[in-house]
Amino acid sequence: MIKISNISKSYGDIKALDNLSLTIKEGSIFGLLGVNGAGKTTLLSILNGLIKIDTGSIDIFGFDIQKHKKEINKISSIIPQHLAFYENLTVKENLDFFAKIQNARKEDYEKSIEINSLTNLLNQKSSTLSGGQKRRLNIAIGLLNNPKIIYFDEPTVGVDPKSRNEILDSIKSYKKLGITVIYTSHYMTEIEKICDEVAILENGRLIKQDSLENLLSNKVSNKIVIEIINSKNTKLLNLDIEDDLFINTNQKELFDTISLLNKNNILIKQIRYGATNLEKYFLDMTGNNDA
Amino acid sequence: MMLSAMIKKEFLLVIRDKHALLALFVMPAIFILIMSVAMRDQFSTNNLEFSIYLQDEDKTQMCENIIINVQNDKRFIILNKKKDAQFIVKIPKEYAKNSSNLIQINVQDSIKSDQIEVFKAIFSEHIIKARLTYISESLGNYLPNASTPLDSLEVSVDKLYKVKYNDSKILPNSTQQSVPAWIVFGMFFIIIPMSTIYVNEKKQNTLTRLTSMNVSIFAMTFSKSVPYFIINQIQVWIMICVGIFLVPYFNTPALEINGSILAIISVSIGLSFTAIGISTLIAVSAKSSEQATTIGGISNILLGAIGGVMVPKFIMPESMQQIAELSPMSWGLDGFLDIFLNGADIGIVIGNTLMLLVFGLITLIISMIILQLKINKGL
Repeated sequence: MIKISNISKSYGDIKALDNLSLTIKEGSIFGLLGVNGAGKTTLLSILNGLIKIDTGSIDIFGFDIQKHKKEINKISSIIPQHLAFYENLTVKENLDFFAKIQNARKEDYEKSIEINSLTNLLNQKSSTLSGGQKRRLNIAIGLLNNPKIIYFDEPTVGVDPKSRNEILDSIKSYKKLGITVIYTSHYMTEIEKICDEVAILENGRLIKQDSLENLLSNKVSNKIVIEIINSKNTKLLNLDIEDDLFINTNQKELFDTISLLNKNNILIKQIRYGATNLEKYFLDMTGNNDA
Repeated sequence: MMLSAMIKKEFLLVIRDKHALLALFVMPAIFILIMSVAMRDQFSTNNLEFSIYLQDEDKTQMCENIIINVQNDKRFIILNKKKDAQFIVKIPKEYAKNSSNLIQINVQDSIKSDQIEVFKAIFSEHIIKARLTYISESLGNYLPNASTPLDSLEVSVDKLYKVKYNDSKILPNSTQQSVPAWIVFGMFFIIIPMSTIYVNEKKQNTLTRLTSMNVSIFAMTFSKSVPYFIINQIQVWIMICVGIFLVPYFNTPALEINGSILAIISVSIGLSFTAIGISTLIAVSAKSSEQATTIGGISNILLGAIGGVMVPKFIMPESMQQIAELSPMSWGLDGFLDIFLNGADIGIVIGNTLMLLVFGLITLIISMIILQLKINKGL
């Protein structure tokens, strides 16, 4: 288990993390959501021991991060957003290098190649790989030390849909291996697809942590969505939303709105509880469109 | 195991950077060739050549002797056409009788004043010799028993004077100046490829990855230094070989190693430490590869200009020579010049070597501190 207790981190006057507490279950795939500057990358850097916290404590699988940074680094791995390998080396040379500096076991080395489908690319110069292949190499390097925890910092940026699905499928498979995955992405659909639990950060603070199921379930939503077909007349109603509108779960308001839409010949496609879609929920929670 | 893997990786990266290799090995070699050949006449005191056209209007025995002497001197190329001659020498009528009739020299516009002075000095040798012969023969008629052994009359400028500098140093020829100067400069070329590798590691997050894999700052710095140290040592010997074997093909004096090989190795090691130290310092301080390349290039040129690489220190004014002492390139260059010109052994150049080693170590330590601070701040 990863237990983050009341941590804070400032860069000068800017508070990157503000009294943040989180608990991440062992073996889960945990999504970190937040707009740019919410504190996601700072949190990942802290969990990797790259940055020190100002206050608070972090316990990772029984190790205090302030005292056992090296031990924690041995059981964890970060997959950075940028391709963190050497383009002038071949795939094999990159893997050999990162394996040797971590004293990786042969079986982990081979497993990493296999999971990421790199067997046929070993002698290819890394700079000549496609975007998706480069991403897979970036991930394979992170698996060489057979980590118990993997931190993914937006690993699918710039990847075509097919490769993205392959990467997401491989990440899901880590769960079966008992690996704890902490995943940040701007793509809410990815989080929805692979994560068990999600935390939403805003201005360095935790504003919500729950299982994905709960977040998207009726229980947590206090909104009803009315999806409409023709939006031409919505302006007459002084509504900003073009294809659907949120209203509070208030019976009178619901009936009044339906009646208003009928009078103005606006066809209703669907009426449902709000936030069945994570992006909608996120925007609702943060009040921000810059996800 | 970790360190050997790091060093191997750095070697692979360096070997595959063709442009950097070209800049590190070919450019200094070309510099040595160009500068040795271009500055050959500026540095030379023995291998002068002047093309001249002679016009004797006096037609006396003495003037004939002058012309014969000049024709026998290999420093003069006698031409039949005025047009191509650097110097047109006209001996006026009745010159032998009356020395107040001056010899007239017409000079091509491209000839510099110092070349004219050298020409005059050498030509004077032959006039003096011819005059002495004339006087001796004239006196011989009156004093038949007091004949002068003319063959032993030595009036060569080179044999009349022995020029030595106050500090007993000998003047270098163009190769002796160019080879050490461009060896030193070439060794500092590593600033650009080395800083690019550091900046790219920062930019591409490989540095973050290595840090998260418990790779120490020392291992990162050391592993990057090893290939460039070896490159520096290879550079030194390639440049020396260029000076010894290639430069003579261009009618330029070959490099002579008068000092000990051990002394060359010692100065090379010191210089390499300094070059690596400065490169690492620039690399870890720069925010982008553009910044590193610009700062690296400028500092290389400045250190070279101050340190006597571009302009030899012995022709600098004294105040500039004192400033030159501040440049580590000057410490290395002085060491090499001592070895090549004065036959210095390791005992003589150990001071320069130690200064370079200490400077290199200090800059490396500062670089490691800066890198650690940057990593602590999340780069």
